[in-house]
Amino acid sequence: MEGNLGNGETTLLDTLTRGIEALGHGFAVWSDSNQLVTCNSAFSRRFNIENSQDLKGLTYDAFLAVVVDKGDIIIRQSKQDWITTEKAAMQGNLTRELVFADSSIYRLECFPDEKGGFVSFLQDVTHTVRNEQTLKTERDKSADTEQVKSRFLRAANHDLRQPLAALKILIYNCIETQSEEIRQQALHNMDVSVSIMEDLLGALLNIGQLDAGRVEARPSTFQLWTILERLKIQFGHQAEEKGLELRVRPSRLALVSDRALLERILSNFVGNALRYTATGGVLIGCRQAGDHIRIEVWDTGSGIESENHENIFKEFFRISDAQMYRKHSLGLGLNIAQRLAEVLHHKIAVKSIPGKGSVFSIEVPTGNIWHSDIGEPEINERIGGEFAGLTVIVLEDDQILRQALVDLLDRWGINVIIFDQYNDIQPQILALDNEPDFIITDYRLQGSIQGTDLVIEINDTLQAPCPAIVVTADTNPTLIDMIRQQGFPVLIKPVSPPRLRVTMHNLLYEPELVPELS
Amino acid sequence: MNDATIPIGSMVPLHGPSAADGHEFRNGMIMAAEEINQRAGILGKQIVLFFEDTGLQSPAELVRAAHCLINNHKVHAIINGYNIGAQNAEYEAIADAGVIYIHHNTLLQHHDTVMSDPDRYFGCFMGDPAEYWYGQGFIKLISSLRDTGEWKPRNNKIAVISGNKPYSVVIANAMISASRQFGWYPVTSPVIVKSPTDNWNEILDGIRQHDPAVLAVTQYHTGDLARFQIQFMQNPIPSLLYLQYGALHKTFTDIVGDLANGVIVGTMIGLPRDKMGRDFANKYKARFGAKSTPEVGCQPYTSLHHYAIASSIAGATSGPGGAAINRAVAQSLLDYPYRSVSGTIRFHQKWQAAIPYPDAVHDPSLGIPHLFYQIRGPNQHQALIAPEPYTDAKFELPPWLPTVHK
Repeated sequence: MEGNLGNGETTLLDTLTRGIEALGHGFAVWSDSNQLVTCNSAFSRRFNIENSQDLKGLTYDAFLAVVVDKGDIIIRQSKQDWITTEKAAMQGNLTRELVFADSSIYRLECFPDEKGGFVSFLQDVTHTVRNEQTLKTERDKSADTEQVKSRFLRAANHDLRQPLAALKILIYNCIETQSEEIRQQALHNMDVSVSIMEDLLGALLNIGQLDAGRVEARPSTFQLWTILERLKIQFGHQAEEKGLELRVRPSRLALVSDRALLERILSNFVGNALRYTATGGVLIGCRQAGDHIRIEVWDTGSGIESENHENIFKEFFRISDAQMYRKHSLGLGLNIAQRLAEVLHHKIAVKSIPGKGSVFSIEVPTGNIWHSDIGEPEINERIGGEFAGLTVIVLEDDQILRQALVDLLDRWGINVIIFDQYNDIQPQILALDNEPDFIITDYRLQGSIQGTDLVIEINDTLQAPCPAIVVTADTNPTLIDMIRQQGFPVLIKPVSPPRLRVTMHNLLYEPELVPELS
Repeated sequence: MNDATIPIGSMVPLHGPSAADGHEFRNGMIMAAEEINQRAGILGKQIVLFFEDTGLQSPAELVRAAHCLINNHKVHAIINGYNIGAQNAEYEAIADAGVIYIHHNTLLQHHDTVMSDPDRYFGCFMGDPAEYWYGQGFIKLISSLRDTGEWKPRNNKIAVISGNKPYSVVIANAMISASRQFGWYPVTSPVIVKSPTDNWNEILDGIRQHDPAVLAVTQYHTGDLARFQIQFMQNPIPSLLYLQYGALHKTFTDIVGDLANGVIVGTMIGLPRDKMGRDFANKYKARFGAKSTPEVGCQPYTSLHHYAIASSIAGATSGPGGAAINRAVAQSLLDYPYRSVSGTIRFHQKWQAAIPYPDAVHDPSLGIPHLFYQIRGPNQHQALIAPEPYTDAKFELPPWLPTVHK
């Protein structure tokens, strides 16, 4: 900074200059003709001008033009518009925030002086502004959460009241009545009320998760049939009870979606279709449409007026007040379905003719069959081993050894059946859903019972020989020979998994390799 | 053994039904060791190989071979092709010694054993994917042929004949369990046959009654499959026909001749016909003769190279008792995929087995290709028909299928 002053004043000016330089903030003085008289280095450097002398004599307009041309300042309008805005701000003594390319933020304030000029003060406010922004974001988030929470509570309050009130009356009726028929009817109605509350809480939970952004799509390629088959099983009984025909057209197509979320959407469509169809049936099918598959759920139900085609996807929308109780509808399912479809970027549509029925559909991208996964998160022997799905009876008293054996067999995908009581084994065998594929028995069981005797008893019950392995801690060669001569392979405790595996394999698939059987 | 060398063991069936493969496995090890030693070995130490004959590959033979390599030769690692039938019995000796073991048994049992105690079996790796993937991959292949219109099956029925070894049973079960998802209907549970089997006609008559559009045989012995194919062609069932691994052997087409044309076969580890695969095949044949089989020798060849790289990154190798050092080698094997002549070997972090493409991973650079061939004649290259981008030919309708179905 400089000036044309006498010696005494020069000393004062030097002091002021040093002070203003030391200030660290930008400082500039403009004349009454809006020309820059002087500025400190913090001011010129912030605008990427090394020598403050270069700015001297520039009008405010020219200064702003230089600043824009340097490109360090971020402007969101045309150069001329920005200059006009900034100049007007200066003239109106308004405070401005300038954002620089290095993401720093400076506050520019102009103060008029007595002679018609003005002073500019430039201050780094990056941290202050950022902190304010963070605080605002947190505040907004908190307000959103509060809003969601209160919406959730309002919804819960709204829809839980009715089944709760009904439940209270039903309980009272149940206590009061002497009639078994009325009691049974009340119990049935209580069951319905509870299931409405269950559905409502489940739906509200889904909405809560969607509101909180906690529902994430995990897309994979899979066969559509895997979902269609599950829907058939899930809703088959319900359709049958209502006297409706539920048809599912088989499909070999592969698609790309989130298996669980898509199933939830389709379950919703099918559930609704069954709910609003009194006679006829429901059909689930699909069509290839370019690079998409359109999965459609057709019903022969009451249909929906065209003016409600959009409304049915709104939260808590019900066509009539009686809908909730008569149809157990909460007015949330389709809203959830649509919001899940948005998460998946799938398109949902409805076509309906009142009195004839409706078609709800969703479009899903077609997948490459080579990329189709079979829905097994882990490939191991439990799902694909040579023993997977077999049924084995384990007769072992020692709880620790038995648990270790059960854990091993379970890892190999075997269904294990354990008997604790050996006195009356015949009814236990006859009560089994599946006949055993083989037996693993300890030789000496509680109460002086021999495992080999139990195997013979089981075979008599089954009227067929079941392959069996005897395990024993007794290493007496005479005993082991005796068991083998009865036709049973023997393994010594603790049983080694590879040995057990080999013996089981041979018994089941290569009996010619089992010397005890020859 | 002096400190300037690294002893590596290999358990190979040099007599018995798998002897032809066993000799190729031995060749693959020899070739890899020669190449690595020419480049100053592993961390400046030369590899010295020790082979143990596993003959019929029984648990006892494998356990004996592992003990011999560990106790007599103090090997730092055991690397070999397959030994099917030992039911992982050899793992115990290897886990006790704390050395590295890379095999190509193609068995799901490996997943189970490693995952049952990852700390104990830290050093056990399977350089190819489990046989389970054969089943799922085959169902995807026939579904893809059907959906692209390359083949129009006359119905959706599939029949599976299985050998009686775990390998065959697992593949057959996997085919059956995946088939429904892809729109196929298994006509029966897998029909299990003994090996060796001379009389296939009775089994074929039973299958013929079901009239399947697809017939898969998961028995893998070359001789059994050759006898099957000859008897099948006496009165062919109009089905797409898949035969397991053994039909890839030159001896199969030598026995069967043109009767094998049109049969589909697959392998979880083979030799893609890209430049790397072709260069290796030429080099291998130049070293071991025109009749040698680089498609088999490539398995331990690949794994010895992978081991050498992993050991160099780990900074050291160790013999029995040096588990701490060998854990670092095992970690490098897991951390560093290797683009071998057979494709990318990328070990699954939990299974410690190579991940198959496209069965378990969609990016061909991240898995070893599950290759499908169609036999075109005894004197011709088998056509590599899947998966992309490795193919060099298109599927053709087998000659025994009526063209009206095309």
